[in-house]
Amino acid sequence: MDDKIRELEERRSKVLAGGGPKRVAAQHEKGKMTARERVESLLDSGSFTEIDAFVEHRCDELGMAEVEAPGEGVVIGHGTIGGRLVFVFAQDFTVIGGSLGEMHAAKICKAMDLAVKAGAPVIGINDSGGARIQEGVDALRGYGDIFYRNTLASGVVPQISVIMGPCAGGAVYSPALTDFTVMVDKTANMFITGPQVIKAVTGEDVSAEALGGATVHSTTSGVASLMFPDEASTIAGVKKLLSYLPQNNIEDAPLAPGGDDPSRACPGLKEIIPDQANKPYDIRDVIKDVFDDGDFFEIQPIYAQNIVTCFARLAGRSVGIVANQPKVLAGVLDINASDKASRFIRFCDAFNIPLVTLSDTAGYLPGVGQEHGGVIRHGAKLLYAYSEATVPKLTVILRKAYGGAYIAMCSRHLGADQVFAWPSAEIAVMGPDGAANIIFKKEIDEAADPAAARAAKIAEYKKSFANPYKAAVRGYVDDVIDPADTRNRLARALSMLLGKRETRPARKHGNIPL
Amino acid sequence: MKKYRISVNGQTYDVAVEELGAGAPAPQARVPAAAPQAAAPASPAAAPAPAAGPAVAGALTIKSPMPGTVMSFKVIQGQAVKRGDVVLILEAMKMENEIVAPQDGTVASIRVPQGAAVNTGDPLIDLA
Repeated sequence: MDDKIRELEERRSKVLAGGGPKRVAAQHEKGKMTARERVESLLDSGSFTEIDAFVEHRCDELGMAEVEAPGEGVVIGHGTIGGRLVFVFAQDFTVIGGSLGEMHAAKICKAMDLAVKAGAPVIGINDSGGARIQEGVDALRGYGDIFYRNTLASGVVPQISVIMGPCAGGAVYSPALTDFTVMVDKTANMFITGPQVIKAVTGEDVSAEALGGATVHSTTSGVASLMFPDEASTIAGVKKLLSYLPQNNIEDAPLAPGGDDPSRACPGLKEIIPDQANKPYDIRDVIKDVFDDGDFFEIQPIYAQNIVTCFARLAGRSVGIVANQPKVLAGVLDINASDKASRFIRFCDAFNIPLVTLSDTAGYLPGVGQEHGGVIRHGAKLLYAYSEATVPKLTVILRKAYGGAYIAMCSRHLGADQVFAWPSAEIAVMGPDGAANIIFKKEIDEAADPAAARAAKIAEYKKSFANPYKAAVRGYVDDVIDPADTRNRLARALSMLLGKRETRPARKHGNIPL
Repeated sequence: MKKYRISVNGQTYDVAVEELGAGAPAPQARVPAAAPQAAAPASPAAAPAPAAGPAVAGALTIKSPMPGTVMSFKVIQGQAVKRGDVVLILEAMKMENEIVAPQDGTVASIRVPQGAAVNTGDPLIDLA
């Protein structure tokens, strides 16, 4: 028996060595950890349990018969983060470039299947040169199997993709199908076709970083949910993100009661909003003041910055916040902001995370570019996502809520459970200037002094309509509140709605305007 | 050969600039040659930039992010700005939007008059 155990140890140590000391050193030189080091630093110390360490490829074509690939270039298993079960797979770039073949993919699929059965999040660490070309269509099958599982697991367990190296071609679609894509600055790249192919086909000269680096995906394409400067901060970010999420779609996110009194008054809020309705301010200052311990965690913080999407806690409960950002582009709703917010809302709804909406926007952005870019169908996603959501939905109207944007920002009419408005709220079908020009056109045109008449009519409209009371009279707004009471009222509303049940007719799925 | 003392982000550099007659080609290609003479301990690339005048690498045009009206300018031509400084106020979508410098630089030119109606993508200010 001892001999047999010795053989087991030998076999295992071979797998643990990955691509060997030379390739491991090369990985370290690039500022990258190995797959095993990443898994160890992500999971609670000593909690990692490996599965499928002895899997080998079965390709014997194009010289592959002699190629040894310890662990098949991917490390899979389970462990805990903050004491909670998670499944992980981490591609090992030191083993034939982390390339994806049939058995490599089969390991990833096994981790995903177990995660769904056990009801625990899956975290995938991507660092791969792409498909293992020698395996041909078997490699393609591998990708397809993963995409299929990503889709079936979507909305069942949280899926997080961490990009810590190259991720090109078909490989990019697995992260794209998951809930969050987290990239490391400078070392992570994502693209469908790389710089060489682009150069050959279109003649465009572009570096890998400019084409698909973390910065471009965080600011321009919106592919990345988050980016961090290095691997250690990326892993810390993933852990923080997980702390807001439940294990699966039938559990609630963990309670994390801190020392922050839910009924704490927020006297500073009335100072944050400028007296003039047309002055910008930073909505994040409001979020900091209202939610627990001034702490919040933004998703896509540097993409479509005119809307802020973040996780925070209220009375210890995880909430998802969607807030217009008056400081950027006047907080307008546009194509990118609609996409960003809709995806976030649907994630929160799928995983039982109540939604808090902070509304201050003058509307959808006008322009030919927006219209031709399809702002109608993109903007409709926001309406769809809010209407579809059955988690508790709380809305605070801080200032502007005009026209379509009033409806879109989780109004009563899209199913908000509680709507509060500050006394500074302006809820109306359109802004005072435009409205006065239309309604009082005749009076203004016929007046001796049209300019003075227009100013008078605008003031009249402002006084009688640009306030929260017209909406409160109808009950569209449940209460007009002192800003200082915002935290207290939201916390009470959330606690009142904890048992919320809302059922919809059975159907295969809706048809969100994608 | 003219000598200038230039201050960039609080760092002082001594730069020598040679004027090359009227027939000489565009100067920006040659100006960096002056850099080695600069007594700059760190980031020598920063030194030639101000000396070369407009149209150097790193020049950038701040464009209007949305349709609106230019209310006021917070900078004048030739003024040095830092990333995040407010350069102008654009009234749009019922809001006085602060347009900020995306990077450090000097205001090379102001492209629109105060009160101008601008559309998305219209150039507002050139930074050098």
